[in-house]
Amino acid sequence: MTVVRLAEVSRVHGEGATAVHALKGVSLEVGEGELVAVKGPSGSGKSTLLNVAGGLERPTSGTVWIGEQDLAAVRDPAAFRRRGVGYVFQDLNLIPSLTAAENVMLPRELDGVRSRPAREEALAVLTEIGGEELADRFPDELSGGQRQRVAIARALVGERRLLLADEPTGALDTHAGDEILQILRARCDAGAAVLLVTHEPRYAAWADRVVFLRDGTVVDATEAPLASAR
Amino acid sequence: MSIRHGLLALLSRGPRHGYQLRVEFEASTGATWPLNIGQVYTTLSRMERDGLVEPGESDEQGRVVHTITTAGREELARWFSTPIVPSDRPRDELVIKLAMAVAAKEVDVADVIRRQRTATMRTLQQLTKAKRGATDGVARRLVLDSMIFRAEAEQRWLDHCEAVLKEER
Repeated sequence: MTVVRLAEVSRVHGEGATAVHALKGVSLEVGEGELVAVKGPSGSGKSTLLNVAGGLERPTSGTVWIGEQDLAAVRDPAAFRRRGVGYVFQDLNLIPSLTAAENVMLPRELDGVRSRPAREEALAVLTEIGGEELADRFPDELSGGQRQRVAIARALVGERRLLLADEPTGALDTHAGDEILQILRARCDAGAAVLLVTHEPRYAAWADRVVFLRDGTVVDATEAPLASAR
Repeated sequence: MSIRHGLLALLSRGPRHGYQLRVEFEASTGATWPLNIGQVYTTLSRMERDGLVEPGESDEQGRVVHTITTAGREELARWFSTPIVPSDRPRDELVIKLAMAVAAKEVDVADVIRRQRTATMRTLQQLTKAKRGATDGVARRLVLDSMIFRAEAEQRWLDHCEAVLKEER
């Protein structure tokens, strides 16, 4: 089943002579259990694509569906995103005065989940990514790789079916980076849809399908392998 | 590298017969370098001639066990302590192909790059999948890692070629 679908999406930043055409008629689908990587150099429109797919930016033209829902018609986009979509960014945005577990709980508490069950959910997802021992530490007591795992746990908590990751391996060394991809991959294999943007070929290669983006246009893609053609 | 050094490395762990050597060689290199049993026996007999290994008695199935000699251990130590030089490696066909595509003028180089990049990415995806499934043996995983890094370098180089050629135009 398709979890997110972009149809002929264009996105223009600014107007007139200074207008930047970040996306030019991009169509893309990510299905349940599928990991799709968008690979392109900086300035190719990768981050805009991700923002549009998650409803953080509205397309100038074209349509974005999450499941059966046309994003343009959603009344409370923030709540819709929080419940259905997880984000992992390169700059992690962990709150320094909260422990790892409290950071992970945050989106659930915003959704009105009580503290105790929210903490249980947070601990469960931290355990899933092999970070249970990090729960009561503060961000500045964690290594770069550990912080990124916590940020991913925060993106995973709750029943989010779509995970959007923008260069989630940041400046991590290749071994730590591989571990991050391992987590995303496992979540995918458990049924989530993951859209990953990266300029790093080694991380793009974890995907079922790699889409090449140049100047706001999809120029090529590796076809989905038969194993994941459900 | 020569097969002989690989076999010496395996023999340094203890005496082995030919078939065992072949199986262990392929297990450690992740079957990236398949050996046939004939190559193993030929190499063993040459190493025996050169005094690097010595044959023992044959077992009940008629298989001869070989043992590494002191000279063999010295040769192995020399190999491990000597860095590989570029001339030990064969030429890279892709590099030559792209250089020729640029030289030939009438070729759509961007298209050559695009096709190759997608093909290399497919290879990289397969290698990554194989690595995910490779739970047995760190040697095999490291061999796959090497191939992953090489494919990755090729991708980066292709991206670089694309960017440079775009500016040249």
